[in-house]
Amino acid sequence: MTQSPFNAEHDPELGALLRERLGGPAPEQFLRRLRAAVVAAPRADQWDVLDAWSRPRVMALAIAAGLLLWLGAWFENGQPAVDPGVMVASLPTHAVVSSQTPAVDEIMAALRDRP
Amino acid sequence: MDDAELAQAAARGDSDAFGGLIDRHGMAARRAARAILRDDDDADDAVQEGMLAAWRAIDRYDVARPFRPWLMRIVVNAALDARRRGRVRHAEPIAETLESGGLGPDRMAEASLLRARIDAGLAELPERQRIALVLFDAEGWGHAEIAATLGVPEGTVRSYVFHARRAMRRALGTLAEGMK
Repeated sequence: MTQSPFNAEHDPELGALLRERLGGPAPEQFLRRLRAAVVAAPRADQWDVLDAWSRPRVMALAIAAGLLLWLGAWFENGQPAVDPGVMVASLPTHAVVSSQTPAVDEIMAALRDRP
Repeated sequence: MDDAELAQAAARGDSDAFGGLIDRHGMAARRAARAILRDDDDADDAVQEGMLAAWRAIDRYDVARPFRPWLMRIVVNAALDARRRGRVRHAEPIAETLESGGLGPDRMAEASLLRARIDAGLAELPERQRIALVLFDAEGWGHAEIAATLGVPEGTVRSYVFHARRAMRRALGTLAEGMK
């Protein structure tokens, strides 16, 4: 260690000690092993990459579509069935039988109070 | 061919080109991995895992950026991941690799003590300081490349190197001066 820790230059002596200590045995053999591993593991081609990329997204889309369908069905079932006969019956009797035109307020109130 | 050209050839499926990159950077990757895992087999496995990950992702490497930090980041992450997942086999000390041939008994004892002190000094350092120190002083990298590898600002790397050197200086004492 010939240099101050403040020095921004490389410390060749410390560097050499670290290289020797961390180098590990049989470097040529190690590099051959790495090269052999690469040759034995061919890279995924573009279709594999696309496949790997798209599979989770297709799943997510399918789940989202299913959820939307389920929500749609749920809302559909939550609404009362519309029956024109019930609409007429819900009007006040005098509005139906009277010869006079019913007041707008009465019609609106009847519509609002419909079950 | 420079790194970027080899990487481009590798991206086209040329495994020999990637082999050229392994020849250039494999040992630096090994030293960095051994600084993290400190076990021969675990470190070598992590480097292999990192190299294979880099090989599979080589077409995503941006040739406008330096190659070394890109590769080293993958290898360092593989080593850190191995450590986090507790795949470390055992905590045997690193095999003795410092040359001691031709030294007398006194010098051999001194070399052995130096090894022990280097190990102790490295063991004291936080992971990132250890990586920064190895890349800076052992590999001769610049602060910017180390910053890109670790994903931290350059100033942080300077601080890592400073603190790591100070700790190593404490651990080695005056022993290192007598070795060379």
